[in-house]
Amino acid sequence: MRILIATTQVPFVRGGAEGLAEGLQHALRSHGHEAEIVALPFKWYPPKKILDNMLAWRLLDVTEASGVPVDLLIGLKFPAYLIPHPNKVLWILHQHRTAYELWDHPLGDLITWPDGVQVRDAVRQADRQLIPEAKAVFASSANVARRLKKFCDLEATPLYHPPPSAERFYCGPAEDYLFFPSRLTRLKRQSLVIEALTQTEQAVRVKFIGKADEPGYLQELTDLARKHKVSQRIDWLGHVTEDEKLRLYAHALGVIYPPLDEDYGYVTLEGMLASKPCITCEDSGAPLEFVHNEQTGLVTGATPSALAAAMDTLWTKREQACSWGNASRALYDRLNITWSEVIRKLLA
Amino acid sequence: MKLNWFSPLSPARTDIAHYTSRVLEALASRAEVTLWTTQTHWDEKLNSYAKVRSYRLAKIPWAELNRGDMAIYHVGNEPKFHRSIWQISQRHPGIVVLHDFCLQPLFAGIYLAEWRDLDAYLTQMEFYYGKIGRQDAQEFYRRAIEGEAALSIDKMAERYPLTMLALENALGVVAHSRQVYERLRPELRCPLVYSGLPFPIQRKKCNARSKRDVPSPSPYRLIVFEYLGKNRRLDSLFESLAGLTEKEKFHLNVFGQVADERSVRRTIQALGLKELVTLHGYVPDAKLDAALEVAHLAINLRFPTMGEASGTQLRIWAHGLPSLVTETGWYETLPGDAVCFVRPFDEIADIQKHLRAFLAHPERFAQMGEMGREILEKNHTPEQYARVITNLAERARSYRPVAAIQAATMRSSIEMSAWLVSNENERDRLELIRKKHSLIYGRTESNNRFLRAILRRAFRISSWRRRLRGAYRER
Repeated sequence: MRILIATTQVPFVRGGAEGLAEGLQHALRSHGHEAEIVALPFKWYPPKKILDNMLAWRLLDVTEASGVPVDLLIGLKFPAYLIPHPNKVLWILHQHRTAYELWDHPLGDLITWPDGVQVRDAVRQADRQLIPEAKAVFASSANVARRLKKFCDLEATPLYHPPPSAERFYCGPAEDYLFFPSRLTRLKRQSLVIEALTQTEQAVRVKFIGKADEPGYLQELTDLARKHKVSQRIDWLGHVTEDEKLRLYAHALGVIYPPLDEDYGYVTLEGMLASKPCITCEDSGAPLEFVHNEQTGLVTGATPSALAAAMDTLWTKREQACSWGNASRALYDRLNITWSEVIRKLLA
Repeated sequence: MKLNWFSPLSPARTDIAHYTSRVLEALASRAEVTLWTTQTHWDEKLNSYAKVRSYRLAKIPWAELNRGDMAIYHVGNEPKFHRSIWQISQRHPGIVVLHDFCLQPLFAGIYLAEWRDLDAYLTQMEFYYGKIGRQDAQEFYRRAIEGEAALSIDKMAERYPLTMLALENALGVVAHSRQVYERLRPELRCPLVYSGLPFPIQRKKCNARSKRDVPSPSPYRLIVFEYLGKNRRLDSLFESLAGLTEKEKFHLNVFGQVADERSVRRTIQALGLKELVTLHGYVPDAKLDAALEVAHLAINLRFPTMGEASGTQLRIWAHGLPSLVTETGWYETLPGDAVCFVRPFDEIADIQKHLRAFLAHPERFAQMGEMGREILEKNHTPEQYARVITNLAERARSYRPVAAIQAATMRSSIEMSAWLVSNENERDRLELIRKKHSLIYGRTESNNRFLRAILRRAFRISSWRRRLRGAYRER
């Protein structure tokens, strides 16, 4: 089949969504299909640009290319998934979050614009109207499916996929650090971990990897660490190679990942693949589908003190941590999170 | 439902502030209302029904507004009260309640007197009324600056009402007269409703009558009130009274701020009406109500009219008072058994005819007042009005995504028009549209503070402002 994957890109920003699109393309090709990624840049401010972007996608015709039909279109991200196609399957990574669960949230920016509510309503209306054009709707996680149901009354089937290089993860002896690999961005709440470090009883250390989405945010975080006098217990490693990332996972005592209402989150899955327990928060969204409290990791309240207590637990109960890590790997294997399974369902 | 209500608030000297006070209790029983204001003082009573929030244009808490279900903007002709309301409405769409249909005085006031932005004013005029509109606007401005008697603001308002400039982003519109409703209906895509102005009635009829039945030989008390600009026809009224043989049987009480009071006093003197006319100036509501209670006939002339319903008329009816009104605009739609009509071009003859009829049959006029009161009770209750507003807010909410998408369509259309331009006219029109869409409605006080200070000083030392104002008043 000739299959197009429709997604958006934010130039110079790379996160899980880009990995997913490439992973899907690779998987489709390895299953004998022709697959291409179609991406348009997405700019969400001022809000009217969101509508312009939506319209741009709606005006595209990808039913065929050079006279040859495109057999299937897989839409991934807003507003790319609005693109029309007679044989369209959606695998929604997330909707435009500031129009939904992040609307009235300190991290949501749409509400702060004069025409925010108008654009929000237009986005919701378009989603409700146009998502059902697809012959099947999948969501990247149960959390994303739940939001679709809650806000748009639309059904979607959760469909998990493996993180990039899933087969290369391994487990090594635990060293004295917790690992927080992620883009540095407010939704991931690195700042919460910094504040938690001020309240741990143990001299817990944390290694962060990842680049900042917005200029100045790394500085903001390092300033916060300095202010709280925990800089000595933090390593900011920035961008690391894939091998280095695997090594950091392998030797971490555990993974710490407290994002706000995450759509999916490779970090949790990567931790599972490396047989590491994960600390996450009650409001972290999709990680809760994998982190079961005191079975595969720890689930805490989203406060510095609760997080600090969980960090202390992993730090002091190493054998327990190791056992939760092994259980998390076993869970991953049981869930059958493979590209073959993804392809089977998307092409069914 | 949470409503963000933008209106002048009592004690601001505009009937729109009174209107808000009148409807608030009924509205608050159906919705959570936040009153937004730039005033530093407001009537404490308002706090019992709504939260009052101060704002500055430089720092609007958009998130707070966005948390509401609908913003309601009250637009009238006084820039002092309505400029910032209009500015916000252009950036955060909501329902517009039209308190005047012809809004030329508002926009001329904003663009020319407040912002001194002739270019933007001409752009708006050309956008809505083509080259002719632009030329007339230019001429209006030139003559105002040069102090020449010519095109008046009222003539401009009549020819170029600029109503759509207040409505172009509206998600819903409230008209207070059927005429305005009918006029707007073909032009608007958003929901539009007509509703009579609200007016609560508290007094009992018997009280009003007993106080009014003052035995002879006391003169009958005529009353004129509210803000009294030229279009309230005081000159014609004085002239009618002066020419009436039976003038000694009347006493005219004038309440409210009189535009150009010195000239009005001169006219009274010149016509020998000093003993028959009393100018009371602005008085508190209670005092005015007491005067209305004992008055026998109200004169509520308006010409030209800016086209909308009159809260003043409702207040007259609330006191069961008969009245003379101009046969124009909303007034001419009133039932003939509730008011007496004065033709705009035969004012003096008609006023005198009605005053004589009053002397001959005062009881018929008293019945007219009662009829007006019945109309008020039937069609103007605040409860009815509040229901109209909340129902419209629901409809406007459904219309909101449609409006957003229409705006996106407009942007695309402008972009694509650029590909098709084939001659100078089309190019000019496109440029005009682009220019109009690039006009900034979010000008803030702070951004302009420095400039305004300079201009204020400049106005003091030049006659420009006086001249411009003079031109506005000129008929």
